Amino acid sequence: MKKLQSNILNMALMLTVIAIVAAGLLAWVNNVTSGPIEEINNLAIENGIKSVILGDRDIQFTVDPPVERDGFVFHSVNDMNGNLIGTAVESTDRNGFGGALKVMVGFDPEGVILGYTVLEHSETPGLGAQADDWFRQASAEAKEQSGVADVILGAPGNPGNHNIIGLNPGNNLLTVSKDGGEVDAITASTITSRAFLRSVNAAYKAVFGYTAADGVSGASSQN
Amino acid sequence: MSYFKTIVNGIVKENPTFVLLLGMCPTLATTTSAVNGLGMGVATMFVLICSNTFISLLKNLIPDGVRIPCYIVVIASFVTILQMVMQAYVPDLYKTLGIFIPLIVVNCIILGRAEAFAAKNNVLASVCDGVGIGIGFTLALTLLGFVRELLGNGAVFGYRILPESMNMLVFVLAPGAFITLGLLMAIVNSIKNRKAE
Amino acid sequence: MEYFLIFIAAIFVNNIVLSQFLGICPFLGVSKKISTAAGMGLAVTFVLTVAVIVTYALQNWVLNPYGLGYLQTIVFILVIAGLVQMLETVLKKVSPSLYQALGIFLPLITTNCCILGVSILVANATYNSQGLEPNLLTGVVYAIATSIGFALALIIFAGIREQLAKVHVPKSMEGMAIALITAGLLALAFMGFSGVDHGIAVAAGL
Repeated sequence: MKKLQSNILNMALMLTVIAIVAAGLLAWVNNVTSGPIEEINNLAIENGIKSVILGDRDIQFTVDPPVERDGFVFHSVNDMNGNLIGTAVESTDRNGFGGALKVMVGFDPEGVILGYTVLEHSETPGLGAQADDWFRQASAEAKEQSGVADVILGAPGNPGNHNIIGLNPGNNLLTVSKDGGEVDAITASTITSRAFLRSVNAAYKAVFGYTAADGVSGASSQN
Repeated sequence: MSYFKTIVNGIVKENPTFVLLLGMCPTLATTTSAVNGLGMGVATMFVLICSNTFISLLKNLIPDGVRIPCYIVVIASFVTILQMVMQAYVPDLYKTLGIFIPLIVVNCIILGRAEAFAAKNNVLASVCDGVGIGIGFTLALTLLGFVRELLGNGAVFGYRILPESMNMLVFVLAPGAFITLGLLMAIVNSIKNRKAE
Repeated sequence: MEYFLIFIAAIFVNNIVLSQFLGICPFLGVSKKISTAAGMGLAVTFVLTVAVIVTYALQNWVLNPYGLGYLQTIVFILVIAGLVQMLETVLKKVSPSLYQALGIFLPLITTNCCILGVSILVANATYNSQGLEPNLLTGVVYAIATSIGFALALIIFAGIREQLAKVHVPKSMEGMAIALITAGLLALAFMGFSGVDHGIAVAAGL
């Protein structure tokens, strides 16, 4: 077959045809994949709620429909008698290393942190991303830091606590130890750690506003 | 040139990373671990093979004057398909690679191969070229990720083999990417120089 | 003040080339002389600013309202390619001297991933806006700051490479190998800025 001439008609025609075919193809693929994508996102939220409130406990529970307010999303979790076990809060901080950092934090009715999970982040892969594990390790397991790493990276000589599970942001100062707080930052990822703790503290403040305003305590399940 | 030779050519003689020096952004950015490098390599290979195939099929229908915009539309379509499929079926990898998935569009390897190979050769040869260059790119990225993960995190494909006190975090960070690739390139050069002698 | 912070963060702390790995190809390719590096930096600033405004408008006023978000990549890259072409034509007519200075860089910019990358970051609001609401204004400020960061990295690197060309390097390290290691050391130097933005924010009482 001979190659098409580069005249205006041919050029405009081919470009239009290719663009239309491409757009049609994409619309079809979008149609096919949008279902599974939504399913996966819902599943991530569902699993997140379960893991930040219940952890390893295996008990029956119900989740109230999510409530969105001031940029936070609240999921209240009740046991089968309708008693509030805890509230999972989705909280976003815009000042992570690469942009937004979105976490879900679970609080019991007293405000003690039951668990957390990182939902979205744009941190350095493999480094800032450590946040998913870092803030749940007890200080007994705190990692040994080599002297060299301390000098180069400014990591603490005596690794302190970086577990936040079981702490109450109302009683404990949850900022990185460099800023005078009680939590050690992820090695070489202070910015990520700050963003993470800011979103936890914001979630704590928000959850109290939420439970107080709605009277969500005990048997209430109104939304 | 036989098809097999075309494939080998893409892996060794025209290795996109070490010889052609193309597609440096994803090479440096996504190789914090061997798995990430492998994922990025395979994603790029998918787009490369598809775009090579279609551009080779359409080469006589596309007038020279709008060649580049047409190629870009074809490439961008496949990248978007990849984006949606990855989001639906491998969400974790999609999250890790982040913005570098849509940026496959501007990876010079893909447009470069479309222009230099697919626009001049038949479909089968273009597919082979895509496979070869794709494997070459994937191998290079996996190797780089392997070295950085080993030195920076003391692990191989996620399995820790060195104690944590031996981690050299700088290799996972940005400077480590440049330095590791520079050193690997020097090793490749010295092997080449020795062969030439 | 927050706008100033966006500048500091994008130029020094999260430098687009040395810490985010966008725009590596021109960084390694067009950095042998300071003058060409400066030209490239200027061209990128120009195109990136215009591209961010156009793509932000398209994303928020066309793609999102009609549920066409999945066409983002394809629309953005076409817009950028068209924009570069248009700039070339306009510059040629309006300011031949500027065209002389930037002309050769313009075709290279279409495949500069820092343009598409920053456009996507701004349109999706996944960049660091220092606590401000991510809108068109912060997006444009971020884009300008980013391109200054790009130009700065390029010019510094070109300066080092001009010196490097005069010294004797082991044979295997010649060319790209030593350039990459130099870039690595430069990135290491820029890591020294990390936390500076936080310090300024604290000092300013934010």
